[in-house]
Amino acid sequence: MRLLKRWFRGVLAGLDAVLNRVYGWERNPIHQAGTVAVAMLLVLLGTGLYLVLYYRVGAPAASVARLAADPWLGGWMRTLHRYGSDLFVIAAALHAFRMFAQDRSWGPRTLAWVSGLSLFAAGLICAWTGFVMAWDSFGERLALEGARLFDVLPLFSEPLSRIFAGDGPVPSAFFFVNLFIHIALPLGLGIGLWLHVSRLARPALLPPRRLLWAIIGLLTLASVLLPAPLGPAADPLRLAPSTPTDLVVAWWLPLSERLPAGAAWSAGLLLSLLALLVPRFTRHPREARWAPSTVDPRLCTGCNQCPQDCPWEAITMVGRDDGSPTLVAAVNASRCVSCGICAGSCAPMGVGPTGRTGRDQLTGLREVTLPALARGGAVPTIAICCAQAPAAHRAALQARGAHVHLVSCIGNLHSSVIEFFLRSGAPGVMVGGCPPRDCSSREGPRWLRQRLLNGREAELQSRVDRRRVGLATLAPGALAETVAAFERFTRQLPAAPVPEPESNPDLDTECEPVPLEEAAK
Amino acid sequence: MNLTRLLAAAAASAAGLGLLAYTSAASLAYHPEDGARLRLSWSARPERIEKCRQLSAEEQAQREEHMRQRVECEGGFASYALRVEVDDRSIGETVFRGGGLRHDRPMHVLRDFPVPAGEHRVRVRVTRRETTDDDAAAFAQPVVPDADTGLFAGRAQREAAERARSARAAIPPALLLDTTFRFTPRQVALVSFDAERRVLVLHGRGGETAGRPR
Ligand code: SF4
Ligand code: SF4
Repeated sequence: MRLLKRWFRGVLAGLDAVLNRVYGWERNPIHQAGTVAVAMLLVLLGTGLYLVLYYRVGAPAASVARLAADPWLGGWMRTLHRYGSDLFVIAAALHAFRMFAQDRSWGPRTLAWVSGLSLFAAGLICAWTGFVMAWDSFGERLALEGARLFDVLPLFSEPLSRIFAGDGPVPSAFFFVNLFIHIALPLGLGIGLWLHVSRLARPALLPPRRLLWAIIGLLTLASVLLPAPLGPAADPLRLAPSTPTDLVVAWWLPLSERLPAGAAWSAGLLLSLLALLVPRFTRHPREARWAPSTVDPRLCTGCNQCPQDCPWEAITMVGRDDGSPTLVAAVNASRCVSCGICAGSCAPMGVGPTGRTGRDQLTGLREVTLPALARGGAVPTIAICCAQAPAAHRAALQARGAHVHLVSCIGNLHSSVIEFFLRSGAPGVMVGGCPPRDCSSREGPRWLRQRLLNGREAELQSRVDRRRVGLATLAPGALAETVAAFERFTRQLPAAPVPEPESNPDLDTECEPVPLEEAAK
Repeated sequence: MNLTRLLAAAAASAAGLGLLAYTSAASLAYHPEDGARLRLSWSARPERIEKCRQLSAEEQAQREEHMRQRVECEGGFASYALRVEVDDRSIGETVFRGGGLRHDRPMHVLRDFPVPAGEHRVRVRVTRRETTDDDAAAFAQPVVPDADTGLFAGRAQREAAERARSARAAIPPALLLDTTFRFTPRQVALVSFDAERRVLVLHGRGGETAGRPR
């Protein structure tokens, strides 16, 4: 599983690199795959409402052929509906792929994974029933294969396949049930979607507006210019040499047709089971890198910042058990994904996963990083990088003389660490994180930016010279941009005189209400 | 966005949409050969094969009044052998029986046989596998006068009518369709059971050919 994940990560990084280069990381559509899938659901809803007005269960093929032949609205609406369903499937699959590759498919994310798979399956079923509705040669092919598969199950007293044998017209009841499934399932998708994001704070459901309209506009243009062909009307007494097949939703069809029904079911069920068990296969022991966050009630002032910043709503404020009137933060370990963002939000450094609280970060600096740097002479410019950032970018920064300091996510970084570096003699600190929509902690870059530039708790203290602090996005495929950002940053540094290094800066007395020594007791 | 990137993005988007349009309607082979098919498709009830005996007056007297049947039958449902021949060569042989655990439900036949295009002699034969004893004697016995009065008046006629109805609802013990048919390429010729005429019928374009009970 680890190998597979690494391979997936490599593929994803390659894909990201290409798309970042072409579109820029701000507009990379596959960073937005989940929200693009939701946007496509809306497109499907809009076009579907129009199409269903003209659909006749008594004359399915004729009514769809009439729609397809309408040059004004029906033709491209039908194609847009079809392309929308394809893009939904592609986007949902890419989203799942990313979640798996980035280790975001287990623990507290299990509900999102399982509900996401259900949404994906429901979307596929909607697509299949949609093609059957058209009742062209491809719809008939899908229906025949579906009937063949269902006929091995002890569900129906009469084999479904006989409906399509040709000794009578296909009953309208079949098309009615098919239409019912096609319409009823999307209603269930709403519930699935709610479950899918139910554990997220501030879920992003749609892509940024410009990207959203660009995608819809381009799909509409494609629908006008490249209308999806409709096969000849289904004829049970004629063998079609080929069918215009939608491989995005029916890629399995040629495989399944070659297998006995039992084997096709077994393969499908095995694949589904494996997908459902991904959270089980990919989980980690909840320790070290994956340890949930904890709160030190002696340090917590009850400021209510960490519950606001936690992207998984894992923190609530509760009454203290010592009878004092203030509230204290409490972490629900079963919802905590160990992203560490809360550690960066807490001015008194009272919360965070073990080893990654603000205090742990400062202790690491004081005891390990700075002594090592001091041994090498003057402290160089510091590049604080997200550990998920591409290794090539980190190496390039190092090659340009920066000391690379890794954090699990830049949202985990406590702003005091930046101040600590500067007060220890570093000429400047540049923080490099992932593209905001590709942050595996969801909101790391967003909160860090606000903490450094907009006074969000735990803000970078006003005494820190802002000219010595830089921000960069380390996006795969955009190495030149990373290097340029670093060089720009270092170029403007000499203008500002480097302050005298402090031998042992004590940030606690200025930032924290409780000294470290006392907290350690 | 600079011009180069804009052009690259436009080209990539066009390629992506082209790929989407292609995969959305890729032409996929289904029945690439030029042959034809002979399809057998019908549903019919299997015949009930029973052994019946008349209950004596003493036996009937021992039963509750509403349970006093004159004739008691035991048995099961018939199974059928199907043989399909094209140009005197067997292309399929199978046995089929009624659905359900007791095989008392209708039986459904749906089989496809590839046949080369052209003119062929088609023979489809359905034969019941079980033989029956003639149980008419059990029903032909003189009616017990007490049982067929009052509440039971007309029972003998009703029983006879019911037996006749269920016998007609079942598939005949032997059916044969023997005909010559010209299969055009990619045509599916359908053989079904006509429950009204109680014969196998071959439907092709331009008409149908009926077989006969044997
Ligand atoms: S941010 Fe820190 S001080 Fe504020 S509520 Fe959370 S743990 Fe307590
Ligand atoms: S580490 Fe902190 S911010 Fe992240 S999920 Fe856990 S409690 Fe929330």
